[in-house]
Amino acid sequence: MENAAYAGLSRQMTLRRELDVVANNIANADTTGFKVEQLLVGTEVGERARNAFVRPGVSFVLDNGVGRDYGQGALEQTGRTLDFAIEGEGAFFKVQDGAGEAYTRDGAFTLDPEGRLTTQGGHAVLGDAGEIILDRTLGEPQVGADGTISQNGQPVGRLSVVRFATLGVLEKGGDGLYRNASNAAPVEANDARIRQGMLEGSNVNPILEITNLIEIQRAYESVTRMIENTNDLSRRSVERLGRVS
Amino acid sequence: MRALRTAASGMAAQQLNVEVISNNIANMNTVGFKRQRAEFQDLLYQNVERMGAQSSSQGTVVPTGIQIGAGVKAGAVYRVTEQGTPTQTGGRYDMAIDGRGYFQVLLPSGETAYTRAGNFAVNGEGQLVTDDGYAVQPNIAIPQDAVDISISKSGQVQVITQGEPEPQIVGQLELASFFNEAGLEAVGDNLLLETAASGPANVGTPGEVGFGEILHGYTEASNVDAVAEISALIIAQRAYEMNSKVITTADQMLSVSAQVKS
Repeated sequence: MENAAYAGLSRQMTLRRELDVVANNIANADTTGFKVEQLLVGTEVGERARNAFVRPGVSFVLDNGVGRDYGQGALEQTGRTLDFAIEGEGAFFKVQDGAGEAYTRDGAFTLDPEGRLTTQGGHAVLGDAGEIILDRTLGEPQVGADGTISQNGQPVGRLSVVRFATLGVLEKGGDGLYRNASNAAPVEANDARIRQGMLEGSNVNPILEITNLIEIQRAYESVTRMIENTNDLSRRSVERLGRVS
Repeated sequence: MRALRTAASGMAAQQLNVEVISNNIANMNTVGFKRQRAEFQDLLYQNVERMGAQSSSQGTVVPTGIQIGAGVKAGAVYRVTEQGTPTQTGGRYDMAIDGRGYFQVLLPSGETAYTRAGNFAVNGEGQLVTDDGYAVQPNIAIPQDAVDISISKSGQVQVITQGEPEPQIVGQLELASFFNEAGLEAVGDNLLLETAASGPANVGTPGEVGFGEILHGYTEASNVDAVAEISALIIAQRAYEMNSKVITTADQMLSVSAQVKS
């Protein structure tokens, strides 16, 4: 009897989670290099309590993953020499993260007092030969589309841009960083282009997110009404059947 | 509901963004001002279901997992040290730096501050000072009987005195540069201070490798681009509105749930 309420409840729970994901997308609509996410929702067939062939089994709604759209975000001109954007889907800058490596699309880099190229969070940016150290007395660094950094006409290093065969292995770590959650090794992304003086905006589509918001709210309302009706039904049957005339 | 807090972080971020933009617009006509830009990063993620977790006894694994983000935070507000347009003023002691470097100014506290604003003047002793009367370093004294002053691209200050056809050298300007210019601390009055993040100042003569040249009779305009700032303002406002929509939606969903009674 309560199955309808439970099926409704499973939908309500996933809708709340969907709202959390949409809220995060909208909050990050202006975050450099942010990639939009979507909750993947599927049908979960419930096991029958006993092997009755008269009534069909109940199905529930279950979220089984978060899908990430790694599509290219819009490039925005900033005019800063240490801002870099990657043109090429699914390619990342490599940065030092504790003992391991992390990956990012946020190319708003800076220099530390030793002249090391770092992210805004202080993680060293990795090139072909490890950390990249610039000598600011040699003037502004120029970065080519393949990531080669030159100062005063002399090459001083190369920004490394990598890609994973399966993007599903990446885990978001906050601060614009992605971490590798598997043993898969990244490979050099040769087709990706680096643009100096530009940053990649998020690929959040505001209209789509607002539509999702409306959809979630309405679905939540209708499921709640369904639960209410089920509740009414059982209340009324208890009232009528329990009446002693 | 997590969505409420997530959206609130989004609104706070956009508020900061508007504050930065408004400061840029307010300083559009400030000599030597460098515009700032707010950079945002996503906050931490909660792993509701870890990727790679076993999803059945047959050894199947969850391919993507469920990660739910907790919103956004300001990663950094940094200065864009792009060159501002040199504006001709004809001022006798006005200078602009074309390229990298900062003028050094001695503060009353004995500290050295750095500035790109070259709208200098002379004080009662003939010393080259800023608008606030702080001496430019190294000290340059202009003799009282100087009829004309000329400053070369490499920062050499020469004066022509009454009845003297040959120009006289009275000083040499020096510039300071830093590894990480964005790490300098702004203290108002167009002044910047050295910090641990900026690294120590590297002093040199204008025109050397890594230093800009001096333009005499010009000042450097701010590098604020009005059109870019206004469009950034529009984007920030719309983003703020969208986040408030999320709050409304979350609130209405909560209220729908609260109205269910048995």
